[in-house]
Amino acid sequence: MGAESGAAEQTGWQEPPPAKVERRLIREAQHGSGEALAALYSAHWRRAHRAAYLVVHDAAAAEDVTQDAFLAAIDALDRFDRRRPFAPWLHRIVVNRAIDWGRREALRRRIDDPTPGVETGQPPEEVGEELMEALAQLPPEQRAVVVLRYLLDYTPGEIAHMLELPRGTVNSRLRRALDRLGAQLEVER
Amino acid sequence: MNEDRLSALLRETPIPREAEAERRGLLMASEVFAQRQTPRRQAFPRLALAVGISALLMGILLSPAGAAVRDWVRNVFTTGVPDAERALTEVPGGGRLLVQSQAGPWVVQPDGSRRLLGQYGDATWSPHGLFVAATAGSTLSALEPDGTPRWSISAASAIADPRWSPSGVRIAYRTGRELRVVNADGTEDRAVDPDVAFAPPAWVPSGLHLLAYVDGKRRLRMVDTDSGELAASALAIPGTLGLAWSPDGSLLLEWTERGLWLRAVSSDKLSQRIETGPPRRVPLPRNAAVRAAAFSPRDRTIAALLRLPARPAGGPHSEVIAVDPDGGPRRRPFAVSGELSDLTWSPDGSRLLVSWPDADQWLFLSLRRAGRIQAVEGIASVFSPGHSGRAPFPKIDSWCCATHSSFAP
Repeated sequence: MGAESGAAEQTGWQEPPPAKVERRLIREAQHGSGEALAALYSAHWRRAHRAAYLVVHDAAAAEDVTQDAFLAAIDALDRFDRRRPFAPWLHRIVVNRAIDWGRREALRRRIDDPTPGVETGQPPEEVGEELMEALAQLPPEQRAVVVLRYLLDYTPGEIAHMLELPRGTVNSRLRRALDRLGAQLEVER
Repeated sequence: MNEDRLSALLRETPIPREAEAERRGLLMASEVFAQRQTPRRQAFPRLALAVGISALLMGILLSPAGAAVRDWVRNVFTTGVPDAERALTEVPGGGRLLVQSQAGPWVVQPDGSRRLLGQYGDATWSPHGLFVAATAGSTLSALEPDGTPRWSISAASAIADPRWSPSGVRIAYRTGRELRVVNADGTEDRAVDPDVAFAPPAWVPSGLHLLAYVDGKRRLRMVDTDSGELAASALAIPGTLGLAWSPDGSLLLEWTERGLWLRAVSSDKLSQRIETGPPRRVPLPRNAAVRAAAFSPRDRTIAALLRLPARPAGGPHSEVIAVDPDGGPRRRPFAVSGELSDLTWSPDGSRLLVSWPDADQWLFLSLRRAGRIQAVEGIASVFSPGHSGRAPFPKIDSWCCATHSSFAP
């Protein structure tokens, strides 16, 4: 998968720290180090927040979802197995909560709120804007698999595990999502 | 465009207010982390205790006498409380209820008689129950409890969450994303904040016209609605669904689907500033989702309605718990295999009222006499007269009214 890291740098895209560093940070945080927690937070916030935003399309909700996931992480820190990577665990919480939020928001809008829930924020440019508009047409479940696959680089098997879905369901959601995105963005598979 | 390009676009698309959100989140995470206590490791004794208790319970439940217990548990906790009253002939403990149905809000009198107020949406009592504030689309009205309208005002967008101040002379409400306050006689309607979150605002119980709410930037704010001055501001807990004050105004509860959070609040009379402490998480059963939470109107007890994950033998599990924030034991007045909704304190703080829609029951739970439950069935049809088929279950709005010595409506 192409990184195109030059442009990505400008938006603060960050790779997770090496596994060894991460294990040390988690161990220190488990022993009460605020600095280690801040380092973990900084290493993972932007990816998690971006994933949440691309699923919920609402800046305030994305902030809530991400913060909530970090608070859950702090809550469960003492039980966390340091041999496991931190990111998939965090991303699983973020994406599942983002899906929940998207479903609730869709229901709420249908019932009683005519105000639009999709927020594009600062005007993005051309193709980015098209992408956001195209993603907004997808249900939250399909947005989530696209984000997990193409933003966070998880395999369909890993996504199936994270969302507690059969792998076939993940593949079909990806296929349907790409078909619909393709109609607007001409995504080649 | 290929998959690589899609991936790059997902990484490049600008995220509004990303850096601010990160900064706010770090502050919140650091505060919460600082509150956390590193637990002592005691996995083995806890595990041994759990195994011992499980073995004992299995022994009891598999015995002939245990079979009766199993049946009792199954009967009580899955299909409704047995021996429920067939009709609502009184409100246990007295007081009046405000109940929301598809037809509009109803007032239920202490003797169980009821009156539909009209085609309104959200409704709330005035502090002494002399009036009701009710919404209808973009209109806010003050009504007498028999439904007679006293005044109405209109807003640009749909109105929601009216909240009558404890002094009785102000009503706060949301319209679109805006928070506004109007005098209780319908005059001087003015804006408090142009951009607020969807959580309803909460008046400070002291009688001052101080309103707590979460704004659109996820800040918890307390504003003097008379002067417009900001009295306090702090980062709100993400995903706040409700705010509630302890009756003495010393604790503010923020509840989200994932938990209950408390802040100590104190006022500095000289500077007229309000000091808010860091949020402290209230321990709850693991994986519990909070459906509702509220302070007792009489003390600092917090009641919460929790939904727990489905158990292997059945569907979801609901619990009502009562928590003493000062460290007392957590009580569990009621638990069922099923979905409960709504949670309302009686005005004297002695009972809780919860709904069990699948059993078509209201449950009045006594906190003073542990285990005493008064159930009333056949609720849905009462509030949907003329409805054919299964009637929609109504929502309990509030239970009126605490007696205070003031001139409030």
